[in-house]
Amino acid sequence: MGRRRRRQPYPADAARALPDAIAALSRTLPAAPSPEIFRRAKFDRPEAAPALWRLLFHVLSPLSADSASVSFALEAQVRWVKSVLHSQGYPRRALVQLQDDGSQGGRELLLALAWLLARGPLPERLLTQSHVRLGDEMPVCECEALASPGPPAPRVEAEGSVDIRHLQWLMGKLQLRWRNLMAGQQEQCALLGKIHLYTRGCHSDRSLGHLSVTETELLRDPEGGRQLLQRLETENARLEAALEWRHRELVFWRWMDTVLDTCPLEASPPTFLPRIPEPGAGAAGLPVRELQALQEELQALQEELREAVEARRATWQAAVGGHGPEWRAARRALQVAVAQDLAALQWAWEQGKGQARPHGPRRLVRTEARVPGRPGLWATEATEALRAREVCLEAMLRQLQGQCRQELARLVGARPGLIWVPPPAR
Amino acid sequence: MLPAECSRRLVAELRDALDSCAELQRQLEQSLRVSRRLLRAWEPAETPAPEPTPGPEINEESPSSACPPSPQDLKELELLTQALEKAVRVRKGLSKAGKGVKAHSLKSGSTSPATRASAPPSTSHCAGSCAPETKPPRGIRPPWVPAKDLPGRRLLLVGDGAHMGKGAGANKPEAGLRDQQIIPQAVPPVPEAFTLKDKGALLRLPEAFRKAASRNARLWAQLSSVQTGDSVDAAAATAKTQFLQKMQTAAGQPGSRLSSAEVGRLQKACSLLRLRMREELTADPKDWMQEYRSLLTLEGLQALAGQCLHRLQELHSAVMEQPQGPWPEGPPRAASPCGGGADPMWSPQLLLYSSTEELQTLAALRLRIAMLDQQVHLEKVLMAELLPLLSEQEPLGRPWLALCRAAHCLLCEGGQRFLTVLRDEPADRLSPP
Repeated sequence: MGRRRRRQPYPADAARALPDAIAALSRTLPAAPSPEIFRRAKFDRPEAAPALWRLLFHVLSPLSADSASVSFALEAQVRWVKSVLHSQGYPRRALVQLQDDGSQGGRELLLALAWLLARGPLPERLLTQSHVRLGDEMPVCECEALASPGPPAPRVEAEGSVDIRHLQWLMGKLQLRWRNLMAGQQEQCALLGKIHLYTRGCHSDRSLGHLSVTETELLRDPEGGRQLLQRLETENARLEAALEWRHRELVFWRWMDTVLDTCPLEASPPTFLPRIPEPGAGAAGLPVRELQALQEELQALQEELREAVEARRATWQAAVGGHGPEWRAARRALQVAVAQDLAALQWAWEQGKGQARPHGPRRLVRTEARVPGRPGLWATEATEALRAREVCLEAMLRQLQGQCRQELARLVGARPGLIWVPPPAR
Repeated sequence: MLPAECSRRLVAELRDALDSCAELQRQLEQSLRVSRRLLRAWEPAETPAPEPTPGPEINEESPSSACPPSPQDLKELELLTQALEKAVRVRKGLSKAGKGVKAHSLKSGSTSPATRASAPPSTSHCAGSCAPETKPPRGIRPPWVPAKDLPGRRLLLVGDGAHMGKGAGANKPEAGLRDQQIIPQAVPPVPEAFTLKDKGALLRLPEAFRKAASRNARLWAQLSSVQTGDSVDAAAATAKTQFLQKMQTAAGQPGSRLSSAEVGRLQKACSLLRLRMREELTADPKDWMQEYRSLLTLEGLQALAGQCLHRLQELHSAVMEQPQGPWPEGPPRAASPCGGGADPMWSPQLLLYSSTEELQTLAALRLRIAMLDQQVHLEKVLMAELLPLLSEQEPLGRPWLALCRAAHCLLCEGGQRFLTVLRDEPADRLSPP
């Protein structure tokens, strides 16, 4: 097909500029209503509200919830959107005050959508989330491989007390599951390696060289291949719409200014609607326990650092002496270097960018030649980078276990007449 | 027995952990199913394509469009086939005794080769699929030759010489060779089952798919480049900032709301600081400069930790003041991949490996890190619940001892080893009269 030739990129016809922009937005967002709904929303027409609630729900929920989202009634969606927006810091209280049946508030919802769009590259992020993955992907960042468990299935809660042996049994079961996982994972890697090996030379893209499981599968199963192709083409359409949106969005922002102007200014902070507050676990907001846990962790860290620093400072003070003026210059240089280092570290979490390496799953490519300068990360390097985290976690675990041992010894030591024989050291 | 509240919490935590594992296991098994299926014998199906040519290169021998074979070709084919059959017979006679493999006799029916010959390939490509017209009816399973009997032929046909009848599916009797297309290389009639091992290198992706995929890559590249600097973009950026500010001021209250993003940042800060501290503590300074640098770094880390703690305490007190709104359950707020540090824009990133071992090591390490992470979390939870319990309970009875022993096992040995408790009898009771 080649590149699509336009007569001129995005004809700037003033009258059509806004509708075109909104149309582009509607085509790129998932589950977006028609452009007409947006217009009605500005005038707070009732029919606009439910559609916009649903749009916000789709936009805010993570991808995994897509299939589950159909099961949520509009009212549940409304409440959830409210809580998520609140936790993200949405400034306007008018949103929280809208009725839960989702029948009103088109204009406020439009503002909420615009707020989300203004804060970050929302269409691109959504497209990345739903991107059709054609390769065999493996994430190599240091983030968790385990997703938090999905929506808690309506399981029968364990009533009442259990014996501690039940806990031991559960732990054993957990360990067994991990062992099975590891074994299965090894097999999967071996199979992938074979498939990549056998299909080398097939791919039209020379930099990849071989087919992935997805691609081979589409050769085996034409129906699946058709569906994959359809998803790709849908994504392409959304990508084009996103490009168009980026070119046209200025007029949208001017329009949103007018929408904001039509809203009455908010009064003094009202109280929340009387509801049973649920601070704590299971909340979509900010569980206080989480904060507490983090606080304890930071305190422990600070304590560890303090000890280390004290020890080293003492050694250093003892060793200092007999260094000339050149040492002072070197010392200043070191101070500057360390300050820069630490600033970079701080920037890493302030900006929300973890490492210098971009995150996200990477496509596996089997290749023989170790050609330097080839774009891509080598598995051996990724392994090296992860080892540091492994060591860190092991140390943390050992430290916690040591703490427990001490505590238990203390408790037990208070009771005379017993001999505790620890298990043989590994 | 543990008290009810405590039990409920601990059981819930452990069940969560088990569920996460189960989910991973489910995904893994699905991938395994797909991969195993691909390594067995299958039929690369003709992909229905809207283009004029019926399908991709896979479907080379489209019989109707190919020109009919010349009698000359057919003749040569016959001769070659017969020669090969003879060779097979000879070889089979030699190897039959030792192999113990079921030896199927080669049907020397000239009919089967002839039917196959009716659709000679116009190219020397050896691909997997078979146009419906030439495919012999399913019922007639053409004779096959055990793979082990024809090692040489394998080499000749596939041309890469890497496979010698073993590997995935060595037990497959249908480890067949597609003979129609490679008749110029003179192969005896064998079943049409296709395996990735033999013919994988000859697969080709369908045209429509390739086009869509390359268009996809191009569009993503365009989208990425649009993000970076453009006069239209700069104006839009200012408009957006102004809009946000206007929203904030229209709200009438300074936005000192606690956001989960901030907490996430602090969590990230904590783990980064800890990681860095580990690095410094385990490093071995070679000279005084390095020592000094290490000292400065640790001091800096300490200061940063203090700052984070301070900020966290501020937030904490702010949270306690604010009325907690209603937080209904909804779709899980799973942390966005990579904890918010994810690139908002997809870009093709590759992970290169040159041997299966490399891949396995990396995958095993990732799983191990996930497991350790889970273990650390569980350890903290167990500590928080069990240790207070033990210190509260006063009676020095067997139940308490059993609890202690079990707690020790769970907390200190990861649930794997037990200690022994002996009662120390007072000496005088044992002294002989």
